[in-house]
Amino acid sequence: MDTLTTLILGFISIVLINNLVLTKFLGICPFLGVSGRIDMALGMGLAVTFVMTLSGALTWLIDHMLLMPLGLEVLRYICFILVIASAVQLVEMYVRKFFPALYESFGIFLPLITTNCAILGLCLFINLWGIDNLSTAVVLSVGGGIGFSLAICIMAGIRENLRLAEVPVALRGAPITLITAGILALAFMGFAGMIKV
Amino acid sequence: MLNKIQYFFRQSWLLIVATFFYALLVVVVNSGLSSQIEANRINKLNNLMKGLITQAEVFEKVIEELEVTDSHGRAVETAVFKALDSEGKLQGFAFIASGTGFADKIELVVALDGRCEHFLGYAVLSSNETPGFGDRIKNDYYRSQFSGAPVGILKLVKTGGAGSVDEEIVAISGATVSSRSVVEIINDFTKEVKRAITREGLSI
Amino acid sequence: MPKVFLAGLWSENPVFRLLLGMCPTLAVTTGARPALTMGVSVIFVLLCSNIMVSLMRNLLRPHLRILMFALTISTFVTIVDLFLKAYQPEMSGVLGPYVPLIIVNCIIIGRAEACASRNSVFTSIVDALGMGFGFTVALVVLASVREILSHGTVFGLEILPLFKSGGWFHGWAMMAMPAGAFITLGLLLGLVNVISRHQEK
Repeated sequence: MDTLTTLILGFISIVLINNLVLTKFLGICPFLGVSGRIDMALGMGLAVTFVMTLSGALTWLIDHMLLMPLGLEVLRYICFILVIASAVQLVEMYVRKFFPALYESFGIFLPLITTNCAILGLCLFINLWGIDNLSTAVVLSVGGGIGFSLAICIMAGIRENLRLAEVPVALRGAPITLITAGILALAFMGFAGMIKV
Repeated sequence: MLNKIQYFFRQSWLLIVATFFYALLVVVVNSGLSSQIEANRINKLNNLMKGLITQAEVFEKVIEELEVTDSHGRAVETAVFKALDSEGKLQGFAFIASGTGFADKIELVVALDGRCEHFLGYAVLSSNETPGFGDRIKNDYYRSQFSGAPVGILKLVKTGGAGSVDEEIVAISGATVSSRSVVEIINDFTKEVKRAITREGLSI
Repeated sequence: MPKVFLAGLWSENPVFRLLLGMCPTLAVTTGARPALTMGVSVIFVLLCSNIMVSLMRNLLRPHLRILMFALTISTFVTIVDLFLKAYQPEMSGVLGPYVPLIIVNCIIIGRAEACASRNSVFTSIVDALGMGFGFTVALVVLASVREILSHGTVFGLEILPLFKSGGWFHGWAMMAMPAGAFITLGLLLGLVNVISRHQEK
């Protein structure tokens, strides 16, 4: 029961309190680029969640089964990025072949995700926080992806409405998106201290 | 089958060669710099401890891997150092204490005097508290209340005379949670550390 | 050649015009000194990776291109990380996990793809320096604004009279937090848009 509580609290913490986009500044590039429409935002969010879960689990395994026992921690970054890049390419090939319908909805985002800081960032944070079991790592990865999807969908909803507003010429596009993100970050700050993990 | 393997190698030989070359490069750089990195880590801790126990010149680890269970039920391992001055006299003890703050983990270096009767103070090793509010646990205003406070159970109060040195600690206004975390962390750890030091018969 | 270099500084500034490398921009600009450290690290990685990719450009297979880029960049980032931990431990602590995130900084992979894999070593070097300096300048400007407004200092030197030193400035805590980062960058981008529109007239 205790483990389950820890997992649930960890999940809530990474979705709301330590939201990867709004508090840790990860995944800003797609956040600014793909949040124009809600359906695209959702597709990107799904893709990120999928890849993040896979990468989080894989990198944790490689870190604990291979790098630490052999004392090769210095090769960590190289291993992580190779794992992530290869996983993304394999997943893309697999999804395109066997699940064409799924590929339609989020497959095109997959190549972009390799350079998404959120994926590598999450793998590194899992390492930094000293997570020592696989289930917590998986829950945090899923949560990270869902937190990202949450942020990007909220942003998409706001931006769709912004199109009807009169934004000053200099601020159109990226500037007003960033200012909106700032206000969102301010709002999410309200969750801080909610859970003492 | 052999054809496939040949094809695979022809496509990826550069990748494989490059991987070996790069890995070698990184390992070489690492072995060159690792002693400096280790020295930095030890220096940082020593500098913080020296700031708290000003007379001390040498720090020796006396208790390794002391397990402390904090008030939230979590078990953390820490080590205890004793501080000796240039003549080898015991000046005090220092240890690392950690726990959850408002935003993230807080790590402190806490110093006790040689008899384990008074605190010599604490320093923040790492924290991520709200700037301007919880961040003030790093400031002298809050920290000075701990210097000379009696070792026992410190109590956090909202208002009071910050100048008087006793077991009541006045919280930082607007940062009650961070202030309380610091007091709790220090209470939890000091209890165990003092017990361990007395058990080993190390105090004066 | 100077045209390529200057493009990286202004007209194609990676942060202000191309909107690349946003993640570290927002995360490390709490102070001018971490921003400068990050900028210099990125220049180093960008330079080395551009040189290596340019040297290998004729041997790259299309499918494995991205993997090669990722491998090269992560090697140099690991080296930079080790150097920072050894010789700038304080900055290494402040920058923390954002140093390895240089690996996925869109600027570096973007330049490797767009420039280094198609051009000579010399052009790649100049491009790397231009983009790198542009990035550093953008970062330091953003960081200085945030540092002045949140702490009244720049690079640790007191600029506005701080309250604790007897002055009137209390420090605007929000500037040191994520919300302040987003808003400041948004406003700076708006400013750059205004200036460049003026130039076009």
